[in-house]
Amino acid sequence: MDTTVKPQYNDGVVKYLAVGAITFLVLGTLMGTFAAAQLAWPALNFDIAEITFARLRVMHTNTVIFAFGGMTLMATAFYTVQRTNGVKLWSNGMAWVTAILFTIGLLLVVVTISLGMTTGKEYHEQEWPLAIAIALVWTLYTLNFVMTIASRNKETHPNVYVSNWFFLGMMIAITYLYVVNGLAIPVSLFRSYSLFGGVQDAMIQWWWGHNAVGFFLTAGFLGIMYYFVPKQAQRPIYSYRLSVIHFWALMFGYVWLGAHHLQYTALPDWTGSLGAVISLAMIIPSWGGALNGMLTLSGAWDRLRTDYILRFLIISLAFYAMATFEGPVMAAKTVNALSHYTDWTVGHVHSGALGWVAMVSIGALYHMVMKLWNTEMYSMKLINFHFWLATIGTVFYIVAMWVSGIMQGLMWRAYDEYGTLAYTFAESVAAMHPYYVMRTVGGLLFFSGAVVMLYNVIMTIRTANARQEAGVAANA
Amino acid sequence: MLEYFKTDWSAMTTSDWVGLIITVAVFFGMLITFWRALRPSKRKELEEEKYKILDDD
Repeated sequence: MDTTVKPQYNDGVVKYLAVGAITFLVLGTLMGTFAAAQLAWPALNFDIAEITFARLRVMHTNTVIFAFGGMTLMATAFYTVQRTNGVKLWSNGMAWVTAILFTIGLLLVVVTISLGMTTGKEYHEQEWPLAIAIALVWTLYTLNFVMTIASRNKETHPNVYVSNWFFLGMMIAITYLYVVNGLAIPVSLFRSYSLFGGVQDAMIQWWWGHNAVGFFLTAGFLGIMYYFVPKQAQRPIYSYRLSVIHFWALMFGYVWLGAHHLQYTALPDWTGSLGAVISLAMIIPSWGGALNGMLTLSGAWDRLRTDYILRFLIISLAFYAMATFEGPVMAAKTVNALSHYTDWTVGHVHSGALGWVAMVSIGALYHMVMKLWNTEMYSMKLINFHFWLATIGTVFYIVAMWVSGIMQGLMWRAYDEYGTLAYTFAESVAAMHPYYVMRTVGGLLFFSGAVVMLYNVIMTIRTANARQEAGVAANA
Repeated sequence: MLEYFKTDWSAMTTSDWVGLIITVAVFFGMLITFWRALRPSKRKELEEEKYKILDDD
């Protein structure tokens, strides 16, 4: 392969998506922190319907998952597919249309949710016109990605690097899961009813819901990991064969897990057992993948002392390993009887969302910003500061939710000597207050880190642009 | 134990059969994939892939 001539990649759209993702990270974590504060101090609802907890919490999930997460996935997929295949995007114009429409669509999603327009389906709250629009935009994204791979020079790039497999698996799975779960009968422009009813609706919903986690928030971000960890560490991934096993085990295994969200419901008992068993089996490939990423640093662990971006990437893998152990344990029926409907679930989700998804994204975004603007970061010290804000914030959050969730579960199931409930529900709510305050502090720390990142990135871009303009002027 | 695993095959619906066939196909699909990725003769060829991204930009 000729390594001296590099193609000029289509990086404009990647720059737009990267800055957009960081902006949505700030907005999404602000909404989350404010929602957390509302639980600790309900007066913060201000009796304004559009920002009450019920709506704000869904605005937060849509902003962080689909706006921040989605734009990060688009930015990194468009960035890596060009470089790993040595070719420009198949259609730069289509990529821009995808990015702009995705941004507009997600802003409309947040606005309509704040106005109370919702399907009531978790992680699929968008009403049907927006759901159709998002599905079409997602198809454009997938088509461009596939065609870029297809247009590579097969002599110089005979094989497709494994990060592309994870991205493609995520795109295909999310397309059919999102469409099937969204099947509905519209009765007006912003009101529809699910095509499925009763327990079937619940099963379809969690088939989508858990796979939004398994494919959107795991497979896609593993694609990020398999490219950016080796690039930032400047070392090849520990084992390519393990990455292949990791990929296929995830693709075959994840689709079975949804039923573990419906233990002790009207769903047939065996379905929940199957979901729990496969969940426990998934610990093996998940830990294999996490170790594959971490062991990439074998013999070069000292890099973590000086490379703050690498710290984000590696600690994200530690959280990935922790969350993919905790999840299956919570899926087991005995543990689920205690944990379900409690704050433990919220803590588990955030150890994955903050610790894994956000941290690996942040590492990849810092890496891309330096490459895209061909410069060093404005301040490496601020990256280190951001790292500690994010890490301490995440730990505060999940520890608070562990304690609060287990306490809730124990209070709800406690009986006195007469066989009556030992605590009223209101007593359990009152007991949660200190932990809700602690969770808010954790969220505030994480949000502060996101603000520091946005400032650092803006200053980096401004400095790089000023240097470029000065260079042009000197040459003129 | 035999009683626990006893199946009334005549009661299987179309959905049951579709699910069963997909499950068995996935099981063998995983076996074949793992065998293809882990056979020693493929080791060198597969592991060479990991070096290609290090100088891609």
